[in-house]
Amino acid sequence: MADIALKQVTKKYKQHTALNGVSIDIKDKEFFVIFGPAGAGKTTLLNVIAGIAVPEEGVVTMNGKVVNSIEPEDRNVAMVFENYALYPHMSVFDNIASPLRSPRYRQPESKIKEEVHRVAKILRIDWLLQRLPSELSNGQRQRVSLGRALVRSPEVFLMDEPLTHLDAKLRHQMRAEFKEMQANLNTTTIYVTHDYLEALSLGDRIAVLNEGRIEQIGTPDDIYYRPATEFVAEAFGEPEINLLTAGIVRKGGEWYLNLLGDSDHFTVPRQVKSVIEELQLENVRVGFRPKDIKYSFTDDSASMLRAAVYSFEPLGSKAILTAHAGGQLIRLIAPADLEARPDRPIYLKFNVDEAIFFDERTRRFIARAGEKGGRFVG
Amino acid sequence: MGNTNPFSKLLKNAALLLYALFALFPLFWMILISFKHDREMFNTVFLFHPTLENYKVLFSSNEYIGYFLNNVYVSVGAVLVSIVVGVPAAYALARFDFKGKENLAFTFLSFRFAPELLVILPLFLIYQKIGLYDTYFGLIWVYQLISLPFIIWILRGYFEDISPEVEHAGRVDGYSWWRVFLKIIMPLIKPGLVAAALLSFIFVWNNFTFALLLAGQGVITTTVASLKYISSDTVHYGQMAAAVTISALPEVILALLIQKHLVRGLSMGAVKG
Repeated sequence: MADIALKQVTKKYKQHTALNGVSIDIKDKEFFVIFGPAGAGKTTLLNVIAGIAVPEEGVVTMNGKVVNSIEPEDRNVAMVFENYALYPHMSVFDNIASPLRSPRYRQPESKIKEEVHRVAKILRIDWLLQRLPSELSNGQRQRVSLGRALVRSPEVFLMDEPLTHLDAKLRHQMRAEFKEMQANLNTTTIYVTHDYLEALSLGDRIAVLNEGRIEQIGTPDDIYYRPATEFVAEAFGEPEINLLTAGIVRKGGEWYLNLLGDSDHFTVPRQVKSVIEELQLENVRVGFRPKDIKYSFTDDSASMLRAAVYSFEPLGSKAILTAHAGGQLIRLIAPADLEARPDRPIYLKFNVDEAIFFDERTRRFIARAGEKGGRFVG
Repeated sequence: MGNTNPFSKLLKNAALLLYALFALFPLFWMILISFKHDREMFNTVFLFHPTLENYKVLFSSNEYIGYFLNNVYVSVGAVLVSIVVGVPAAYALARFDFKGKENLAFTFLSFRFAPELLVILPLFLIYQKIGLYDTYFGLIWVYQLISLPFIIWILRGYFEDISPEVEHAGRVDGYSWWRVFLKIIMPLIKPGLVAAALLSFIFVWNNFTFALLLAGQGVITTTVASLKYISSDTVHYGQMAAAVTISALPEVILALLIQKHLVRGLSMGAVKG
């Protein structure tokens, strides 16, 4: 149980900067997710907190105490490694018991036995205790490495992509279990993932990391509905958000967006207008989630944009339909049983009220019309 | 693989058998000679009267046992020093990134390239000067040229096979670096350590040049002692063969004892494939 804070942490590996001025404040008992693409510096961040990597600049604090110079064995953190890092010469039992036998966290042997069996039961590996790691499947190894962490009561759990190497079904099941486990553990957890679904479903808060920098820290709603940058908007959601450049057209008192050549029908929402006015923008980038674009094969209303079907990918319960309009590809969600041959004309209706607006120059969030996702901030 | 044709199997086994005969014949011939009288030595007929005479002569004085022990002292000493120096060196080469790392590693290996005769003359003069000539320590020291590169290069591979995360896991579990090294790393490199130690022991044990030229009457090893059976009028091939057979025994016995450690693969399954 601990508050953990990083202040302006920079970590370099030779010429390569893995972390660049990262500041994070993690509250006690929080489930904090660090999300980012491969090579973003997620694992380095965990290593810095665990004490495995020492940052060149900045401080790491635990419960207000600076821990930069404290060795990993004295920090009382438990870590689950992406590649499991089991001790290959020890049985599953000895692997899980290892922290409880260490000089730092030693427990009497009877207690160890009890604890290991308790944890093994939760993780359903109690029938594997006498095996060596080489005799286990990846999913089982994963759970052993989880057990080695859960057997302790550390200040913080650090988990590095613990579900990545499991098959889809087991991953889904473990995700649900994680959520429940976290509720019972009552301990700060820092969880690294590159799967946006995991991040959204598990995190109390999410930090989005890109190329060693923090893009945004916020609740799942913040991240999804009010992404700070286009990078965050693109990283969360599948299929990806559609980002279109639109000019601002002023006609009388009303402002319109010039979307794909149509400047008559897309009114700039009131809340967005004031921000644009303030920033004196001529162009904006507008993001539409695929679910916020409706379609029709007949030209029902004037506000619809004509496009052509570019590709159609059925995915079982739904399909991804890509349409071609004004030199842009637009992704949207359609029923899987739709008859959509390529080049068939299609009419799109954009829901501007759910759109996310970005500054065209900085690619940073400026506003959105809908209120979902917490308070309205510029 | 999976070829079950009995004919090709027979052919394969025959080829292997033939090679085994070819490879083992010198050894077999040596043992044969060690049981022969000197007068039957040059007979072209295979038949002879086996005798233990050669071995009896060998052990009639304590001399040979002394040479044998000398060889044990310098060889074991050299391998032990190499382990103490080589294990940390191999670890450093495997784990740390420092300037000139590959050059340094190559330098260690290059000790094995240079012919011993190339360095022996300067070494001889230096040893004479600083009083290391004909001492145990002197031989142990120079034997490092042979045993250290083996230990470093074999173990480096073993260390590299252990993912650094395993070490990190140990640290996070509450073990100091030293304990991680002894409790987790050492058991994992044990097969490599045993193999490397055995190999370097064999090379050191069999060394002739250094022992001949850098030691005099004080520290005679079994390899050098074989020369004693060449006298001015005749060569006692029988005794020489017996001496060499005895001196080959420790290697054979050691190799048989630790055979199971020579099998690799302990570290498999530690991390995801």
